[in-house]
Amino acid sequence: MDFILSSLIFTPLLAALVVLLLPVHLQKPIKAVTLLGALVQMGLSILLYFRFDGSAFANGQQGYQFVEKLNWIGFSLGNLGRFQIDYFVGVDGVSISMVLLTGIVGVIGVISSWSITKNVKGYFLLYLLLLTSVMGCFLALDFFLFYLFFEFMLLPMYFLIGIWGGPKREYASIKFFIYTLVGSLFILLVMIGLYTSVIDPQATAVQMGLLEQGKAASAEVLTQVQQMLQRNQVSNYNLVRTFSIPAMMEPANFIPNSLLHVLSGTILWDLPLRFIAFLLLFAGFAIKVPSVPVHTWLPDAHVEAPTPISVLLAAILLKVGGYGLIRIVYPIFPDAGTYFSILVGGLGVLSIIYGAMNALAMKDLKKLIAYSSVSHMGFVLLGLASLTNEGLNGAIYMMFSHGIISAMLFLVVGVIYDRAHDRMIHNFRGLASEMPAYTSFVVIAFFASLGMPGFSGFISELLVLVGGFGAPEATGLLPRWLTIVAVFGLLLSAAYYLWALQRMFFGKFWIFPELREHAVITDLNTREYLMLVPLAVLALLFGIFPHLLLDKISLTVNGFTEMVLLRGQEQLGLIFSTLK
Amino acid sequence: MNEQSAYLSEKLDAILAGAGSLLPELVLALFFLLLVTLDLFKAKSIKKLLPWLALTGLFWVLVLQVLGGYTSGDEPFLNLLLSDGLARFGGILFSAAGIFTILMALQLKRLEKLKEGRGEFYALVLVLVLGLNLMAKSVNLLMVFLAIETVSIASYILTLTFKQEKRAVEAGLKYVLYGALSAGVMLYGMSFFYGLTGTLNYTSEGFALGLLQADALLVTVAATLILAGFFFKISAAPFHFWAPDVYQGAPMPVVALFSTGPKIAGILVILRFISNFTDAGSFADVQLLLGVAAIATLVIGNFTALWQRTPRRLLAYSSVSHAGFLLTALLAFGTAYTSGVLFYLSVLLFMNFGIFLLLQVAEEKYGVQTLEEFSGLGRLQPYFGVMAILYLLSLTGLPPLAGFMGKLLIFSNVWEAYTLSGNTMLLALLVAGILLTGVALFYYIKIPFYLFFKRNQSQENLVISPSEKLLLALFALPLLVFFFKPDLLLRWIEQLLAQTL
Repeated sequence: MDFILSSLIFTPLLAALVVLLLPVHLQKPIKAVTLLGALVQMGLSILLYFRFDGSAFANGQQGYQFVEKLNWIGFSLGNLGRFQIDYFVGVDGVSISMVLLTGIVGVIGVISSWSITKNVKGYFLLYLLLLTSVMGCFLALDFFLFYLFFEFMLLPMYFLIGIWGGPKREYASIKFFIYTLVGSLFILLVMIGLYTSVIDPQATAVQMGLLEQGKAASAEVLTQVQQMLQRNQVSNYNLVRTFSIPAMMEPANFIPNSLLHVLSGTILWDLPLRFIAFLLLFAGFAIKVPSVPVHTWLPDAHVEAPTPISVLLAAILLKVGGYGLIRIVYPIFPDAGTYFSILVGGLGVLSIIYGAMNALAMKDLKKLIAYSSVSHMGFVLLGLASLTNEGLNGAIYMMFSHGIISAMLFLVVGVIYDRAHDRMIHNFRGLASEMPAYTSFVVIAFFASLGMPGFSGFISELLVLVGGFGAPEATGLLPRWLTIVAVFGLLLSAAYYLWALQRMFFGKFWIFPELREHAVITDLNTREYLMLVPLAVLALLFGIFPHLLLDKISLTVNGFTEMVLLRGQEQLGLIFSTLK
Repeated sequence: MNEQSAYLSEKLDAILAGAGSLLPELVLALFFLLLVTLDLFKAKSIKKLLPWLALTGLFWVLVLQVLGGYTSGDEPFLNLLLSDGLARFGGILFSAAGIFTILMALQLKRLEKLKEGRGEFYALVLVLVLGLNLMAKSVNLLMVFLAIETVSIASYILTLTFKQEKRAVEAGLKYVLYGALSAGVMLYGMSFFYGLTGTLNYTSEGFALGLLQADALLVTVAATLILAGFFFKISAAPFHFWAPDVYQGAPMPVVALFSTGPKIAGILVILRFISNFTDAGSFADVQLLLGVAAIATLVIGNFTALWQRTPRRLLAYSSVSHAGFLLTALLAFGTAYTSGVLFYLSVLLFMNFGIFLLLQVAEEKYGVQTLEEFSGLGRLQPYFGVMAILYLLSLTGLPPLAGFMGKLLIFSNVWEAYTLSGNTMLLALLVAGILLTGVALFYYIKIPFYLFFKRNQSQENLVISPSEKLLLALFALPLLVFFFKPDLLLRWIEQLLAQTL
């Protein structure tokens, strides 16, 4: 076992400790330590990307690689057996892209934060904590560990927006906090239900004496335990309840008579309990995605957050929502996932269209980009709901590519805001003549985002749409008109980007008179080049060579869709059989 | 004549034989007497000694209870007081609460300067802890009543420590009135139970058998009445009205003690009491009764806290909502909920003392009376701010703090109980409990909001003393440890519960 995943998670935490010990006035060293921490994390994530074997289901654990599993909390519940929380991390095709993204954007964010002057120590401390918890989220394979990181993400974000944000920062930060917390409470409810229902076959085998402590179980022993469990032959005392996500994915690990068992037949408000659990989890993650109608925190948070935090929020934090749906919600509840695919896909398309129309109406450039995020995240939901290989590959690709492109977009907004202290579209005209280099990066970012071929955004939208169109034949889950409607989203995004471009950058140079005395309109400086150039290169690189990422993720995706579809149909049949 | 003397000597033998099991209480009583006697002397050097003497006594009792082994068998003393693992764990928490109270009081300069009643303050803390120990040990309803009254009377006087303050007098008066009322109602309920079962030993088999034969409606009425008294002690709705006023008027160390000690003891008494009702199907009424009370307590506590403008009243309602959580925990019939409850109680002890110490510092050093006056303190004093976040998050129940673990254990037990029984009320409790956490965040976060987001007007940059910093860290450390390694505490609790002393 090597500890690359733990190093990825805890490097920023280590840097945070160093920052904590540095005196407040040493601002340069504090920044340097943060940068070092982020750089090491990026280095490790790139190393992991190269070492990750996209063509093999290595190491046994259902295709997870670099797995680390340690007992963390174990406790006897008397007559109800034991409960077990593991420090359990691993990486597969879904997480490898997110890890890489987090590593890259983490460094960009530090460079972008270089101009922070207010309470530097506190800022970078929180920044590093945020990096740790996001990375932990993407690597955790134990639901408890995931939830820990997921919840802990809120806190640094709350303070980063609330202290270093814009004029309405207090409102925005509280709204962000409450929204996400309510979502995570839904998740908590289901998490409790799941872990009281699911056993760890390996640990149960040890408890039953079928296996020696510390030895890996053979498949036969595990199957034997699962069969005994389903026949009620395991005494309560020997059950080891677990938070492990892979264990929750196996229907054979559910304790008979537990409420979330496929055959439990529990009905609540005319729906099987498993469906309700799915809906709660979906709601929890949909807030994070964010999907219409629970997206309203996002524009506020984005507009008020300082530029680097907007970058992190859009590029990484939003991805936790989509990632959670793929990692947790669909594999654990494939039945409800297929049953509600029209809901998920429908909300996705609604987000695409509604987000784009909002973006069209925005006067604030940053709000426009925030709504374009809502619109693009809709593609993730659509791709996921189609449950086709193309759709899901596209959804993951969209998360990665949107991470790169939205980071660029928010940086670009930050540039003009730094110079003019304003970002209203109608206050500027003809910026191209004064800031040619800046304008070319704006054009790159806008075109990449609207799905211009050659950029990564194109690949992801194409894959999602192909998946969506293929869904009626391949999986029979989504009606074709839904995807047709989604295509109009592309048109709208072209409209709002090009219109903004035309209004702000073309024509004769002019800025709003009241801004003139404070505004210093200069072109990009070195630090800004340092951030924008790599991002533009990455957007192009992954647009021209999509296999760089698809090679790593497609095998996992194939396994995923196959499993979800197969189990989904099977379990739906079982659930409905109990209802008759 | 001869018969009577034989009876007497028999009683005497029983007392002598069983007295060993009351060693902690005896030590407390001894130190109480010592303190009261020494308080008569006017010499300053002796007055200075009093808190340290009280600390010594409490510490001795704490060590006694941690080490255990001071008793003679599992027979209850005179059929009144049972020294089992539950009582012992309770006793450990009570001694700790007493020690924390006195340590907090030592930081309170106003108390140090008090001309009258300073010695009594420390003596009364000892009496209160003594009463709490008796509550936890009682297996006889009358003894429960006596113990509760001991605690109550000590509480009334402690509330009035600063009797020249108008608010303190108001608080004391309200406390006495509500206390007297609920004590009367409780006594009435106890008389019902005696009539129905012919025994006051509410953990005995005779009691449970008597209940089985009695009319279910009558039992429900009696249970309602008796629970009124218990609810008063744990400040559960609808007997929580005293809490905000007392929390507003009493000295801070005493408030911290009230929010933990009597609450823990009350929960232990309810725990023993409802074990009569967990198995029998016909007494589902009591589960419903407690369930409704728990939901009401949660809703009232959390929603009323939203509108509070002073930190003391806010925490009073937060304390009400915690009573609701504890009641919820007790309802998970059929699961091993005792260890979960005890875990939560231990966590509650540390978080409440932490947050109230923080509040005391804010009040004494910065004159904070309302939430607005916290403005900017967190930036002025990062240590203070970080500690505030820690405690408040633990109170809300967010990771990575022990408050989350406590809630997780409680909710898992309730879910398990729901799986076993299919009782929809449990599901409602679970959902209410979890969703109200969102509401709780809304008011708890107000304090960090003012601490960090608002600018301070013109507060002097006063320094928090090292001893206060140390205490704050002391209360915070267990919150982190019990999150990352809850099994340490849970195993110990299991061990204690498994053994009768």
